[in-house]
Amino acid sequence: MSDAPTTGADVGLDDLAEIEASLPGHEVHDPTVSTIDGGPTWREFADGWDLFSDAVWSATIAGAILGYLSVYIVLRRMVFVSAAITQAAGVGVALAFFAAIHLGFAIDPRLGATAASLAVAALVSRSWERAGLTREMVLGLLFALTSGLAVVIGSRISQEAHDVQAILFGTAVIVDPGDFRALAWVSAIVLAIQLWWYRGFTFASFDPLTARVHRVPVALLDLVLLGSIALVVAQAASTLGALPAFALSTLPAIAARLLVTRGPLLVTFVIAAVIGAAAGVAGYLLAFFWEMPVGATQTVVAGASVVIAVAIRALVRLALRLIRGRRPAPSSAA
Amino acid sequence: MASPEILVSCERLEVGFDRKALLPPIDLEIRRGEVIVVVGHNGAGKTTFARTVLGLLRPIAGTVRRSKGLACTYVPQAASLDPTVPLRVDELLGWGAIRRWGFLRPWKGRADRELGRTALATLGVSPLATRRLDELSGGQRQRVLLARLLASDADLAVLDEPTAAMDGPATGATFAALRRLATEKGMTSIVVTHAIAAATSHVDRVVVFDPGGEGIVVTTPKQISESPRFHALFGGIHHHE
Repeated sequence: MSDAPTTGADVGLDDLAEIEASLPGHEVHDPTVSTIDGGPTWREFADGWDLFSDAVWSATIAGAILGYLSVYIVLRRMVFVSAAITQAAGVGVALAFFAAIHLGFAIDPRLGATAASLAVAALVSRSWERAGLTREMVLGLLFALTSGLAVVIGSRISQEAHDVQAILFGTAVIVDPGDFRALAWVSAIVLAIQLWWYRGFTFASFDPLTARVHRVPVALLDLVLLGSIALVVAQAASTLGALPAFALSTLPAIAARLLVTRGPLLVTFVIAAVIGAAAGVAGYLLAFFWEMPVGATQTVVAGASVVIAVAIRALVRLALRLIRGRRPAPSSAA
Repeated sequence: MASPEILVSCERLEVGFDRKALLPPIDLEIRRGEVIVVVGHNGAGKTTFARTVLGLLRPIAGTVRRSKGLACTYVPQAASLDPTVPLRVDELLGWGAIRRWGFLRPWKGRADRELGRTALATLGVSPLATRRLDELSGGQRQRVLLARLLASDADLAVLDEPTAAMDGPATGATFAALRRLATEKGMTSIVVTHAIAAATSHVDRVVVFDPGGEGIVVTTPKQISESPRFHALFGGIHHHE
């Protein structure tokens, strides 16, 4: 491996031994133990809990907080915002590698991801009407630009191409403790602000005109919301990978929206957070036991949650129709 | 007797988009306790005028002066609320009481909850409190938005087509409720509407946007009902004192 910075997202099962040895406080562990007879067992997973716990907790925390934020992203029709931010986070990490390899600057990839994500969030949050651009136009431009940049930068750091690929798609089975701590802190702060300002965020998001008339600082709330999304996505992208960060920031809300038919709006947020956390952990376990790339399985599980939600909703509707159909028609005298 | 306090003063106000005025300049003083309706054909600039008065849009020319500390509220068209947002009636009502940094208190106060309950009861929609907006009809949604207006304790309310999905009796009851709020609480209402016939008995002044004819006319319901020009524009109007 070169001297380029490493992130938790760049580690596959094949790299376990090398990374394990480089992590302080972890015992040396033979990776072949976990791949005998068609894949690792629960016992092996439990035995290696010290090694895997940060990754499992990262998936849980990132899934929960991204799932919570996904409700805003989906209901405010900002899915493209999330796509552009996650793509930017990937580019930020790739830029950190580029700077280390070609320019000799050792930049923390998390810093690169955060800076690039916040920059995109700031560009999206401001009005470009004077330049003759709508938000969709700006988003299209940013998404295309960051996608292109990811490939261009990736081609210039070919010796670390595997790492960049890992960042974009997420193949981490273990997570760097520094990445985990950063993700946990950012998530805790964002969640605290989200719960404290909940009434403000919802009012400004879903009835912005009235909120402005009531002199609620809608622009500030939008900026904080987008900034929160950017911060969490940046941390999740550098810890889990850009692909699962995008999936977990959109799909849980879709599933929750389909499943929650009663109760206040907060229930949708809570269910989305639970689905996000479950998808993160289930995806991780799936990847661990079937030896697949973690980010991809987390994305597939999050997608499956939507399919399951559609099926449940259809079944419930069918059942209700059948029950109503069996009820005797009200008599004309009633 | 002194005239009621001036809440909003429009001087040579021109409203529009992209630096293009939709209408000729208007001078208008809006006083406490007034009910004013704004009428005109689609695209005449009624909503643009209302939003400019509220400060949501910048005037093309002229000025809008709002009295210091004026608490405004807005009742959007029911259709403007996104039906995909799984929002409950009591939550929407709760927003009505949030002003400026009031959202820093993470939960509704007891007084706000009581105001919301009273508002729903006043409009006869208490059973809808825990229903979701996407389960309601257009008329029910408009009544819920009106309940939020009652709960907002505002000095000035701007209502954009608040009776568009209501039947005749409900429309009349809405204007009667606004009249009561003006008389009892001194709340001023500016109502953008097409329901001029149902409104005339309850309002103080009518602002007619007629870009193809007389421009902007600020008049009384009585004059409206007596003018052949307005009859041609809005159909038969009968004013009852």
